[in-house]
Amino acid sequence: MGKYILKRLGMMVLTLFIMLTLCFFALRLMPGSPYDSMLDNPEMPPEMLEAMKAKIHLDKPMLVQYVYFLRGVVFEGNWGTSIVLRPGVDAFTIMKERIPASMLLNVLSLFVCIPLGILAGTVCGMFKNRLPDYLISFMVVIFISVPSFVFASLMQYFLASKAGWFPIIYNVSGTPTAQLRSLVLPVLALSFGSIATLCRYLRGELIETLSSEYMLLARTKGLKRSQAVVRHAFRNSMVPLANIIIPMFTNILGGSMVVESIFAVPGIGGMMVDSITANDYFLTIAALMFYSVISLTTTLIVDISYGIIDPRIRLGAKK
Amino acid sequence: MNEVTKKTLSDIPADLLNIPAREFGFVRSEDPIMDANFETVSRGFFKDAMFRLRQNKAAIAAFWIICAIAFMAIFGPNMNEYHFSEQFSDYLNMPPRIPVLENFGIFDGSRLVTNRRLDSLENPEKFPEGCIIGYSNPHEIMGVTLVDVEVNYYKYIGAEEEYFWLGTDHMGRDVWTRLWRGTRVSLIIAVLSTMSDVIIGIIYGAIAGYYGGKVDMLMMRFTEILNSIPSVVLATLFIMMFGTGMWSLVLALCLRGWVGTARMIRTQFLRFRGREYVMAAQTMGVPDRTLIFRHILPNAVGPLITRTMVAIPSAIFTESFMAYLGLGLAPPEPSIGTMLAAGQTVLMQYPHLTLFPALTISVLMIAFNLFGNGLRTALDPTQRGQE
Repeated sequence: MGKYILKRLGMMVLTLFIMLTLCFFALRLMPGSPYDSMLDNPEMPPEMLEAMKAKIHLDKPMLVQYVYFLRGVVFEGNWGTSIVLRPGVDAFTIMKERIPASMLLNVLSLFVCIPLGILAGTVCGMFKNRLPDYLISFMVVIFISVPSFVFASLMQYFLASKAGWFPIIYNVSGTPTAQLRSLVLPVLALSFGSIATLCRYLRGELIETLSSEYMLLARTKGLKRSQAVVRHAFRNSMVPLANIIIPMFTNILGGSMVVESIFAVPGIGGMMVDSITANDYFLTIAALMFYSVISLTTTLIVDISYGIIDPRIRLGAKK
Repeated sequence: MNEVTKKTLSDIPADLLNIPAREFGFVRSEDPIMDANFETVSRGFFKDAMFRLRQNKAAIAAFWIICAIAFMAIFGPNMNEYHFSEQFSDYLNMPPRIPVLENFGIFDGSRLVTNRRLDSLENPEKFPEGCIIGYSNPHEIMGVTLVDVEVNYYKYIGAEEEYFWLGTDHMGRDVWTRLWRGTRVSLIIAVLSTMSDVIIGIIYGAIAGYYGGKVDMLMMRFTEILNSIPSVVLATLFIMMFGTGMWSLVLALCLRGWVGTARMIRTQFLRFRGREYVMAAQTMGVPDRTLIFRHILPNAVGPLITRTMVAIPSAIFTESFMAYLGLGLAPPEPSIGTMLAAGQTVLMQYPHLTLFPALTISVLMIAFNLFGNGLRTALDPTQRGQE
């Protein structure tokens, strides 16, 4: 087990290194430069521009730049500085300011979608092919199909702008209650898809468990249907569920890139969108690497948790 | 053995043993044969699947919706006289107006203009004859009564003979034409990237699964590394490197998409490679290529079709997602994603710019998912009962 985790961690570091290199060169090869807007400015003398470039080594050949960057990242934890969005500020510092809002959004939507998804899935499984199942399954198809940013736009217009129930954008400086209220819509928009995925999965799982022989045994033993479901079927259906919930976090995080920028939540997603359009090299790299780290970590956790949740699965075993 | 037979024969009465041959005859040789022919037609796998698919009403409805949208994507842009990149600088952000429907109070080109002076309503220079539908919310600011006026915007700005069915955008381009043109582009991107997914996936998976051993291990290790990179990050990097054209979008989408197909195909190959019929063909000297494509691959067609149908909506989704990140198609070419992203910025003022693409993409995604579900159930009977 320990050896397996170590091996996986090594792979992870290697992947991250490849990603970092890819990011660096992809961004440099992109047309346009962060100084495009400054070039038109008549008050900006060209010497000053050159000096600015020289300060963060942008005047040197690309490979030299790469070595500088890599050395900074590996030895000093220096991810470069922002050029356009917040000139001169360390990219890592900006990330540290941005991460809490993103995390709050994601954790809140996990809190919303896990209980709701489990509830809906249980109802579907218990009332298989009856009215509640049909109703919920219909909703599930809609929730799974319609992208989160479409939900976000529609809710922003109808619930926030027209009905006025919620603030249109995220309230940064208000009281905690006002802040929470302004988070309702983004959290909902992010949760719908995950609720549906969870519900669909649990339904299938529960239907399979309900028709198994030990359920019949439980009923013959004299348990009520509800008792049998809660004590026997439900627990067994929950086992594989853990492996759905952990990757869900990455999914929600991915979706939140766009939803954040729609609701002006000061998180990583909105920042990444801005930094891509502004060609802010180092900030974009930092954001992309953040998403990569999260995604790799969740995959690792899922793979390890397979063995813990279901000991029949041996880790790293040879086929 | 012989003894036993002799013994039994001797038990039989002598007169029974000596029946002359002419007394033997066929029994009921003249009677009609009562066995009926099989009346059912034998059904192959695909006929069976089609039958199950037809039972699924939702899937059939979804199929027709997809057809209708595809029809509109092909012919929609030519249905009116506007061109998708034609700009009417006088008619910016016009509300929707459709000839017959306008008489029923919907799509009538009406818009609320806020905070106008009550006394200016009579002034034909500010409000041309007959353009006012009604006004509301009178309020007084600094001694002047202001109202919100609901006007027929087409009459209001003097464009009564124009009909922009779904309005115009911030550059005065017809939304109807752009919407269907965008749907066409999005569908083309989705279909092309899914096709390349499937082709690459089949070849890669077939080679890995058929040859097995070291080749398989190396190839699968490569997909593992590729798979560990988040798809959005990978697509973002790719588009940044190669620019925002349609082809780079297609390539960016299938950059990681084929991995799933390849794995599925590989599993099928591992399952069927050792079968007797494959070995028989191999002994007879059938070349590898024929074995792979003629003998083993057809087994994977069912899951392959399902995969394709599921991959198309996810490609449409990713395309719009990239547009939101500012990595969509370069203007003026529209796609559903770029229209959504552009409409989002003026959502509060001109909701129609977001609403129509949002509806289209939602209906399209729901239809594709329903049809995909139906296909999955039809092609894989063991999946019945689940979704």
